Amino acid sequence: MELISHNDGSWSLRKVSELEYLMLSRIQESADPAGCNEACSRLYPSPVTATADLDQQDTWSIEADWREYTEPDLRKGFGKAIQTVAADIESAAIERVSGVDFYEINVPKIHAEYWCSALNQARLVSHYRHDLPAEPGEISKAPGSEEWMAMLQSEIYGIIMEFLVTRVLWIK
Amino acid sequence: MVVEHASVEVESIPVVDVASSDKLTSPWQVLIFDDPVNLMSFVTLVIRRIFGYSEQKATELMLQVHQKGRAIVWTGDREKAELFVQQLQSHQLLASMQPVE
Repeated sequence: MELISHNDGSWSLRKVSELEYLMLSRIQESADPAGCNEACSRLYPSPVTATADLDQQDTWSIEADWREYTEPDLRKGFGKAIQTVAADIESAAIERVSGVDFYEINVPKIHAEYWCSALNQARLVSHYRHDLPAEPGEISKAPGSEEWMAMLQSEIYGIIMEFLVTRVLWIK
Repeated sequence: MVVEHASVEVESIPVVDVASSDKLTSPWQVLIFDDPVNLMSFVTLVIRRIFGYSEQKATELMLQVHQKGRAIVWTGDREKAELFVQQLQSHQLLASMQPVE
């Protein structure tokens, strides 16, 4: 896979292999925290620090307001990012080189933020759902296992994010 | 001796928890906590974007989060603190707020 930034702010994923494309196309399900309480709590944490020196009634009141007014906006924003990125991935062009299929995805500048959000959501949810270690070398499961594949996918997503942060979105 | 009982009207006065009320109106801190997933470069970028800090200051705060587990990134009134926490959480950073102790 090659990541290329263009002068107009758009960027491309080129020479994406079948496996890499498969992992990219799993972004929607990977980012869905349903059924994993830890992932839900991580994506939608309390706005009040757990150890805050605050009356419990005040904490409850702030959290209730947050759930009613702020959390729906967060959910909407996260959902929009996932949908945008899934559509970009679906629109990939296929190029056959020496009998092997490669994919190319061209992404407009305004979608870079959505990609960062979607990739990060998926990495966070995967981490909690599969109880992944912080470093890939620390994974105890065998290559090819579900956890191992989730770790590989998270690493690929991390590489794309690092590219986006440092080459596309970075403030000079 | 005859004692007349005067009728006294007792007015109920709402009880205000002064300590609690003070906490809500006093300055609040916005904190970012470390997590094993978010990229260091991403955390730095988000801090720069939201607070307008220099690259150096944002990097220092990111490193504080990474090494000490948390960093206070802003202090001020509660309404603004809530807005910053919302912006940080919208970038999936583990952020919360608390009154200044």
